[in-house]
Amino acid sequence: MHTFFLILSYVIIAYMLFSSLSYILLFGLAFRKVYRESELDPRETTEDIAGNERTFPVSILVPAYNEEVGVVSTVRSLLALEYPEKEIIVIDDGSKDQTSARMIEEFQMTEVSFAVRAYLETAEIKTIYQSSIFPYIRLIKKANGGKADALNAGINLASYPYFCAIDGDSVLENDALLKTMKPIIESDGQIIVTGGSVRIANGSTISRSKVETINLPSHPVVLMQIIEYFRAFLIGRLALSRMNILLIVSGAFGVFHKERVIRAGGYNRKTVGEDMELVVRLHRLLREEKSKQRIEYIPDPVCWTEAPESLEVLRSQRIRWQRGLWETLWTHKKIIFNPAYGSIGLLSMPYFLLVELLGAVFELGGYFMIFGGFFFSLIDPKTAGTLFLVTIFYGSFISALAVLLEEMTLHKYPKISHLVRLYFWALTETFWYRPFMVIWRIQGIFAAFRKKHNWGNMKRKGIST
Amino acid sequence: MTLPFFLLLTAILLLFQLVLLLYLVIRKHKRKRLEEEIESQYAHLTEPFASYMMDPSDARFLYAVKSISHQQVVLERLLNGYVAFTRGGSASPLVQQLSEEFLTETYTRVLNQRNWARRVNTLHYIEDFRMRSLAPILRERMKQAGKLDVETQQLIRTLASLNEDVVIDELNRFSNAPVRLFVDILHRLDKTNAEEHVKTALEGENETIKHAAFIYIAYSGAITFLPQVEKELASPQVETRIQALKTIFRLKYLSEPDLLAPFFDSPFWTERMFAARITGVMQFSRYKKSLSTLLGDSVWWVRYSAAEAYTHFSDGDVILAHLAENHPDRYGRDMAAQWQTFRPGGAR
Repeated sequence: MHTFFLILSYVIIAYMLFSSLSYILLFGLAFRKVYRESELDPRETTEDIAGNERTFPVSILVPAYNEEVGVVSTVRSLLALEYPEKEIIVIDDGSKDQTSARMIEEFQMTEVSFAVRAYLETAEIKTIYQSSIFPYIRLIKKANGGKADALNAGINLASYPYFCAIDGDSVLENDALLKTMKPIIESDGQIIVTGGSVRIANGSTISRSKVETINLPSHPVVLMQIIEYFRAFLIGRLALSRMNILLIVSGAFGVFHKERVIRAGGYNRKTVGEDMELVVRLHRLLREEKSKQRIEYIPDPVCWTEAPESLEVLRSQRIRWQRGLWETLWTHKKIIFNPAYGSIGLLSMPYFLLVELLGAVFELGGYFMIFGGFFFSLIDPKTAGTLFLVTIFYGSFISALAVLLEEMTLHKYPKISHLVRLYFWALTETFWYRPFMVIWRIQGIFAAFRKKHNWGNMKRKGIST
Repeated sequence: MTLPFFLLLTAILLLFQLVLLLYLVIRKHKRKRLEEEIESQYAHLTEPFASYMMDPSDARFLYAVKSISHQQVVLERLLNGYVAFTRGGSASPLVQQLSEEFLTETYTRVLNQRNWARRVNTLHYIEDFRMRSLAPILRERMKQAGKLDVETQQLIRTLASLNEDVVIDELNRFSNAPVRLFVDILHRLDKTNAEEHVKTALEGENETIKHAAFIYIAYSGAITFLPQVEKELASPQVETRIQALKTIFRLKYLSEPDLLAPFFDSPFWTERMFAARITGVMQFSRYKKSLSTLLGDSVWWVRYSAAEAYTHFSDGDVILAHLAENHPDRYGRDMAAQWQTFRPGGAR
């Protein structure tokens, strides 16, 4: 038995070292590009498309379910976006609160009859409203069908060739859409999807739907989520995007070529990970068609969103994410390790399976061995000590590195104290935050077998005044 | 690999990160102080600059700018602000004069540096300030450019903004040159120069530049090219015909409405859609009946455009009300009903 645990410990150590090295490799790939571009004058690089009538118009889709607190400020922030031509479509997915009423009242909306195209099948559309003060703001009131269904309804109504999907509780920076559309415009259609960075707004001051002051929240759980987002967006996504094997464009902020999405069948209504599932399906189609089109992640355009402050809500969010990841990998299991799908099949899908999905299982095993080694002589203390150090390396050190990478490149947080606080909190990750994540991620895998769909139960305070 | 090895590794990594953290803290502190200095000098020069731009005989600004330590950055910010917020700011001879006097030397140096971002920023500034003094250096760089990357594309735009028409030939060197870049060039060249290139493009066989010429005509309202555009309506290439229709839609001008007639029965839905749109914006009453036929088209966008076209006519709402009740096609009735209440367009 002792030998079994010893071998298991070595497997976990090898796994964690391999995963950590893969993160460092991804970090190395991401660093050069983001560092090189970080000194570009942002206004100069977007002014050409900002004032250009030929810039593709964009339909902005805001799926909303019980978003009465944040939906109006989100739409107001979208009104303020610098972009030559846009329309805003809010989709109320059968909310039980006053989401539609708030929209109708705030933007003086009236009912219109609309000959909606049924490219994608959705739950029943009840009414379509149009604002009488801003005619390009529309509201779809529909029967509840989930976020994917709401987005599909928005796609059916959208008039423009590209759509931007954003969450009902998010605020985009003024030039975020311009920066996200820039690669699409400059690639002459070779880039079909772009995703922007999502950042946590808790602690910052957002007034009149504009980020006025960037600050850190005091709540440690939210601080750790900020660090986690750095790790996910700056290390993982950027490098995967460089290799054109990016599998996730956040549901909170992404721009898509509408016709491509329609041809792919729209968002999958049977998964809670509809954002990832769509991107994987698009990749799959691109490979099957031998197309050279790309899916890219842009590190700078920022969408600010509200992060959960309570462990209970965070838990339900992470279970949902993990379940979405499992469902996507299961739906597209044919691709995994399949050379016909090139680097998607051989690199990114196995990476998401082994590192993102099963990482939690290995980590739980690691914590169990460390505890068992130190307190119950399950393994010898030296091996337990080694495992302990590797776990710190895998968790805290990589996260701390992400904080430093953010400062080296984008440095969005203005104060020195922000940097120092984030760095030292990152070092604590392995000791308290990560164990929670590990347990919830494993629960997420189990939850995938219980087919109950919902929008999540985020308790909003609202991020804008 | 034993415990001491991992202990040592952890210690080294922690030390490395702490050193990096310390470096970043110092860098952040220095950058903050630098930014404060720049802000202070900028604030100090704002009033003399504004005064100089209104009355160049007030030379206080010239003396002040020579004495500051962050001359380049402060001047860039002042000139950029002026160019961005003043009508015709880019064409101001004072902007050109100031930038050429104070920035030519610095920019010549930057253009030869290894820092890619600074080179690209500088190309943008040269364009914004119309720094003709740097045209020879830029022309030389253009000749050496081997691939059409972000920097070369901006170099081309900058040269075009300095009215260097050599860029069209230079761009033609790249087989992958996109239409968008040709259009960017045409819009930056001065009108006479651009129209000369458009004329050549319309007479030539290069479809990419011909396409760019159509876009230029459409967006600049160059109505003098209408005969050539109308001639392309008979082109055997469907893409060329669509470009010509698009241009006419934008120009809102057609010398002979009969030219539109064949497109109502086109097998290509894009041509039918533009026929409907042109009928609307130019209020060709003779095609009202054809619009009714298109309202029952199998393609949603054609039905949408046909119904929208009615809204341009003074009796459009009456016709739409009638069609919403009586059109033989169910989808046509729905679309007519939509346009009775729907208001089109996006935020501009």
